[in-house]
Amino acid sequence: MTNYETVVGLEVHMQINTKSKVFCECSTQFGAEPNANTCVICTSQPGAIPILNKKAVEAIVKTGIALDFNINKQCTFARKQYFYPDIPKNYQITQSEPPLCSDGKLTISVGGKEKVVNITRIHLEEDAGKLVHEIGSRKLDYSLLDLNRASVGLMELVTEPELSSPEEVLGFLTELKDIVEYLDTSKCSMEEGKMRCDVNVSIRPVGQKELGARVEIKNMNSISSIRDAITYEVERQKEVLESNGKLVQETRLWEAEEGVTKSMRSKEEALDYRYFPEPDLVPFDLPDSFIEELRKQIPELPKARKARFIKDYGLSEYDADYLTSTRLVADYYEGALNYSKDKDKKVLAKPLSNWISTELSAKLNAAKVCISESPVSSQNLTKLISLVLNGTISGKIAKTVFEEMYVKSSDPETIVKEKGLSQISDESAITKMCEESIAESPKAVAEFRSGKERAVAAIIGLIMKKSKGQANPQIVNRILLEKLKSIKKSCQR
Amino acid sequence: MISARDIKAKICSSEIRSAGTVKECFERIKKVDPKVKAFLRLSRENALNQAERVDNNKDRKNAKYGLLEGVPIAIKDNIMVKGEGMTSASKYLEHYVSTYDATVIEKLKEAGAIFIGRTNMDEFAMGGSTESSAYQKTTNPWNVEYIPGGSSGGSAAAVSAGMVPFALGSDTGGSIRQPAGFCGIVGYKPSYGLISRYGVCALASSFDQVGTFSKTVADSALLTSVIAGKDYRDPVCEPKESMDYVHELDNPDILKTLRVGIPKQLLDYKTDAEITKYFNDAGNKLKLEGVEIIEIDIPAYKYVPALYKVIMCAEVSANIATFDGIRYGYRSPNGRSLNDEYAKSRAESLGYEVKKRILFGTYVLGAKNYHRCYHQAQKVRTLLINQITAVYKKCDFIFTPATLQMPVKFGDVLPEECDLFLIAANLAGLPGITVPCSFTSSGMPMGVHFMGSRFSDAKLFQVANAFEKISGFDIDKYPTNL
Repeated sequence: MTNYETVVGLEVHMQINTKSKVFCECSTQFGAEPNANTCVICTSQPGAIPILNKKAVEAIVKTGIALDFNINKQCTFARKQYFYPDIPKNYQITQSEPPLCSDGKLTISVGGKEKVVNITRIHLEEDAGKLVHEIGSRKLDYSLLDLNRASVGLMELVTEPELSSPEEVLGFLTELKDIVEYLDTSKCSMEEGKMRCDVNVSIRPVGQKELGARVEIKNMNSISSIRDAITYEVERQKEVLESNGKLVQETRLWEAEEGVTKSMRSKEEALDYRYFPEPDLVPFDLPDSFIEELRKQIPELPKARKARFIKDYGLSEYDADYLTSTRLVADYYEGALNYSKDKDKKVLAKPLSNWISTELSAKLNAAKVCISESPVSSQNLTKLISLVLNGTISGKIAKTVFEEMYVKSSDPETIVKEKGLSQISDESAITKMCEESIAESPKAVAEFRSGKERAVAAIIGLIMKKSKGQANPQIVNRILLEKLKSIKKSCQR
Repeated sequence: MISARDIKAKICSSEIRSAGTVKECFERIKKVDPKVKAFLRLSRENALNQAERVDNNKDRKNAKYGLLEGVPIAIKDNIMVKGEGMTSASKYLEHYVSTYDATVIEKLKEAGAIFIGRTNMDEFAMGGSTESSAYQKTTNPWNVEYIPGGSSGGSAAAVSAGMVPFALGSDTGGSIRQPAGFCGIVGYKPSYGLISRYGVCALASSFDQVGTFSKTVADSALLTSVIAGKDYRDPVCEPKESMDYVHELDNPDILKTLRVGIPKQLLDYKTDAEITKYFNDAGNKLKLEGVEIIEIDIPAYKYVPALYKVIMCAEVSANIATFDGIRYGYRSPNGRSLNDEYAKSRAESLGYEVKKRILFGTYVLGAKNYHRCYHQAQKVRTLLINQITAVYKKCDFIFTPATLQMPVKFGDVLPEECDLFLIAANLAGLPGITVPCSFTSSGMPMGVHFMGSRFSDAKLFQVANAFEKISGFDIDKYPTNL
């Protein structure tokens, strides 16, 4: 049996994160009433003319810079023609020759190994609207057209056929998503259709240089369906070759419910898009100063930031990974750290990381609130942890204070003061509480004397109750044990 | 009918009232339009109400006057006026209602102009005779057995027959200047990018420009001053000069230092003998005023008809694709599937000329033909532009007859090269103006054409205005047989 290797290339479409569409002034807001975000341009009324939103060009150039692309200074547009109701002009405006960005790369790590994936191009184009097919019990009744998405800016990124497994594809998409979200040039949400991916799959006997017949698969709407579609398609292609069949270049659709790909059209049926230069938009050149200005705006990317978190703050790989998973979390974390003095940062780094990944994220997730809108500000979280570290409150009280902070968005110091939650560290007061509690717990004291050290817990419980939880636990422990031991000794004497 | 400039002046000085002028327009229309058939739809009530408002407003103290306060105008039916129909003379848009104003309409409203009605045209402006209109055939007011030219034949005929003082048209390949020549009036197409195309139903986007029809050059200059100007809604609209064509229009010395070029390629085409004669007469009149006339050589003129056809049809095939029966316009009740619906909606509502151009445009953009047809045409277009640009180092304007033939009878076909020298202006983005110069023995008028360099529109108006004064053409003459 022949050994085959898998060859995959990707075409990734990401909606550009701009307030308005790429060729008109309509909002790009997701989830609006059908056709609420439309105008004479994006519904293609007679006499309408597209106007370029230059922010979309900026977003693509920024993404290109972050992914090591060459930025082409010429920006020209073409009409790609085909008929379908979701593109009202019956052509799509695309910025394709030359693409704004060519020859980029992205380093991915899969199974502990690093691999550089070459990316052919990124270009600008406009998105299509959405057709909703209303299907009655027996036949297709009618279709509804929602043009809210029509003419929203898209960046299309095309990789070289250099990925060799579903895992590498997932690794690539995850890494790409992380970077693009850091740049804030796209929201990349697959659920909202803001990131979509077509895959080109072929197989060839190991060692063979020429690529096999390329099959393009469309219609995957989640990371897992991309994985399943590639896995299925590779097996299908192997079966065809093993049974002496011939593979043909074609486009196939992923049918998620059945878990199979089905032929949509062959190479011969491929559409002739009749591209020609878009006469309504004037070609223009990107000035060097424009590109340099964008280069300055590129933030530190997730990998570099993670390495710096480990080095500068002494975080574990795991913590650093969590904190840099999105730019907003990382910004929150560093924002919080920056409220402390440099010498305190290393002390604060780990507990702060813990607070963010547990208490804060649990609260935010439950309320579906983004960390950038957290009711507990990064400054207040730092203050809270500092109160624990300097012994003003105990870790347990801190959790109570945190609850209060989350609800009222207030300052922890004020809460501690108002509610009198400061820890009691006064030794004479604690000694008094210990003596009282020992006197009130003859049974526990007797057990302790007979060697049951665990009995001490009951007495501590009583002390904490008396102090409303505010007695400093370390001091309570020390004084109580001293007292009990002295009782033991006096009895032995 | 008096000129738009005089109407405005007399309204402002209370010599006449806007409502009176508007009524006169409708009376003239009522009398002559049954024969001319220039108008597709009239807005009598709206126009009269608007005129009354102007008159009432004028009686108030400190009233402000727009540049066209109370002056009636006709609009070609491919320009969007909010709340009004816009058919582009196609059955496809029979019931379409515009939801917005074209930029030129916005500007006209601001200037106080009064819209009389919508004029007939070739379907989607495809044609040179106005015969491809899905609704009616407009006649030439000088002889109703003849075509008025096109595609803006309705606007040309309306002005020529004295129904309105001036009108808007659009010019993609001579569509204003050719019918203006045939109807004996002034027709002006601006430099590409001088006037916004926003709200004008597209034919070939890289050639389309809105322009003007009027009896006098001064009225075209006045109208252009109102509608020209930068518009962010049309990215190609970026005029580089000031837009006042009125104040410096009368330049008595302009002809003394002027040099115009006559292309020697004129001799390569069969030209009506009378047109040649009167064109030479016009040239001699210019010489007498001190104009130097030189021969120029633009060999690429011979490619004009072919390359215009290739590029125009290519753009048509994409622009007309939006008329698919899905969102608005005609939808066939007989569609059985999506593709069948597209096919039937278009087949049942678009005319022969439109279909022919879509097919041809689709062909020249096909993967197999793109390089040898479309791409080649763009290269030749660059060659033509370079040759014309070089010529403007030797002369200020290119001077030709407006058309090489006189208008034909309905059903007869004009030779392809008839308006070749007009189309060159569209291919190169240049301004051009047709000015009437003479009546031929047939009793029908003919005109000459001046073409300037890009954005030389102000000087073009000055030259045309000066020529008008020496041409000997009687602009006060109107067709009497209607």
